[in-house]
Amino acid sequence: MTPRSPGRTDPPDIAIGDEEFRRFTEFFYRRTGMIFGESKRYYVDRRLRDRMAATGAESFISYFGQLLTNTAEVEQLINAFTINETYFYREDHQFRCLTSALLGQIASRKRRSAPIRIWSMPCSTGEEAYSIAIWLLENWPSVDDWDIEIVGTDIDTRALQAAEEGVYAERALMRLSPYLIGKYFERLDGGRYRLAEDLRGSVRFTRANVMDQGETARHGEFDVIFCRNMLIYFDEKSRRQAADNLYDRLAPGGYICLGHTESMSRISPLFQVCRFDDAIVYQRPVGTSHGG
Amino acid sequence: MPLVKRTPAPAAHQESPPQDIEEGLRSPEPGCRRQAAHACASRPDAIPLLSDSLRVETEPAVRQAILTALVGIGGDDAVRAIVPCLRSDDAGIRTGALDALRALSADIEPWLPSLLADPDADVRVLSTELARGMPADRATLHLCRMLERESHPNACAAALDVLAEVGTREAVPALRRLAARFAGEPFVVFAASVAIARIEGTKG
Repeated sequence: MTPRSPGRTDPPDIAIGDEEFRRFTEFFYRRTGMIFGESKRYYVDRRLRDRMAATGAESFISYFGQLLTNTAEVEQLINAFTINETYFYREDHQFRCLTSALLGQIASRKRRSAPIRIWSMPCSTGEEAYSIAIWLLENWPSVDDWDIEIVGTDIDTRALQAAEEGVYAERALMRLSPYLIGKYFERLDGGRYRLAEDLRGSVRFTRANVMDQGETARHGEFDVIFCRNMLIYFDEKSRRQAADNLYDRLAPGGYICLGHTESMSRISPLFQVCRFDDAIVYQRPVGTSHGG
Repeated sequence: MPLVKRTPAPAAHQESPPQDIEEGLRSPEPGCRRQAAHACASRPDAIPLLSDSLRVETEPAVRQAILTALVGIGGDDAVRAIVPCLRSDDAGIRTGALDALRALSADIEPWLPSLLADPDADVRVLSTELARGMPADRATLHLCRMLERESHPNACAAALDVLAEVGTREAVPALRRLAARFAGEPFVVFAASVAIARIEGTKG
């Protein structure tokens, strides 16, 4: 996903009443699973007014009417409520969940000779896939005992080329400690950093469209899929198709991690919800045979 | 670094797409049936085959692939294939069908009047959800027509829940009439008052 800069101006002073706020937050929850209570009132009102100004709506009612009929505006609205940028260790609670819970369960069902396969899809410019690699090296004591294959896949070949190069602006490293930056990156001119060659060599990048079953099928089965902040941009038909393809790419017992605004429960009934201390993830049931 | 280098692991077992879709959909292997369903996704001529399979399929993952294929194809015939699943005794099949029909929002409206008037109250309850994704004025029209004749409190409550979110002011007279007609059902009266308050933008 392309980083966005808000570039906001002051929103107009359009009143949003208590009942309208409640109606809107219910609507937004139904669409995204995100819940905004009264404590988030300012946050919600501000973004809502921004979108009303952008669409020329003169009242909440007229804007709400647009939302019920205009899926493109719903997407714009969701964008306004989510930080759409990529950086290392983004939503790292899921990486914690990976090493504290998921990998142990996966390893307990696997032959030692079989690789553990992790898929970052879509991988954009590689921050997520490389974050997984760094996180495992730093936080999973069994990392040396297993062959771990990390694959990053995206539809955008320019993003994949950037991922292969592994050069990032300082902003992308904002969540990493100086220790990690010193250990895994080389500083370049102009405030840029290049990822260590060994680490770049340990993630494979490929092109595929998640909607294309043939393209995704070529990648085989994965034990864990990170597919974060993608499905919210799809319409309902596309979500169904993507979820179906992702299900086929998961090994039985494998897990899929979505973005914090996304819920597989509202897309596909095939996955089991798994609540761990660090994250909610979705599992392809252990007993399902390939394709069944 | 102990991580695997860029040599791809051999892909896990994958079925080839079936040469003959009809044969694939009848395969004893769920994976093969699922592949066959996926292969139908852009083939309107496959709707009769998908419809037949949907009636007998017992594997949830294959059923989901069939429904997804029907959603991908879209149109009136796809809706016709899915609607009977709303009558299933199996909750998983009912909700799967409802989700699929929701995704076919552009095709579902002509079906809505008959679904909202279905002899089976459970079908009417489920069908109210199909109105939620429609333009507010159309959803209001269909649900109010339903409420004028609806006799089942649960079906009324389901319609009121949707109207509370998407209803327009045109719904208010019908909601008041409903509350009067169900004066002996406090829950319906309460749900109608909440819907009216939401629509009018006052405290519910």
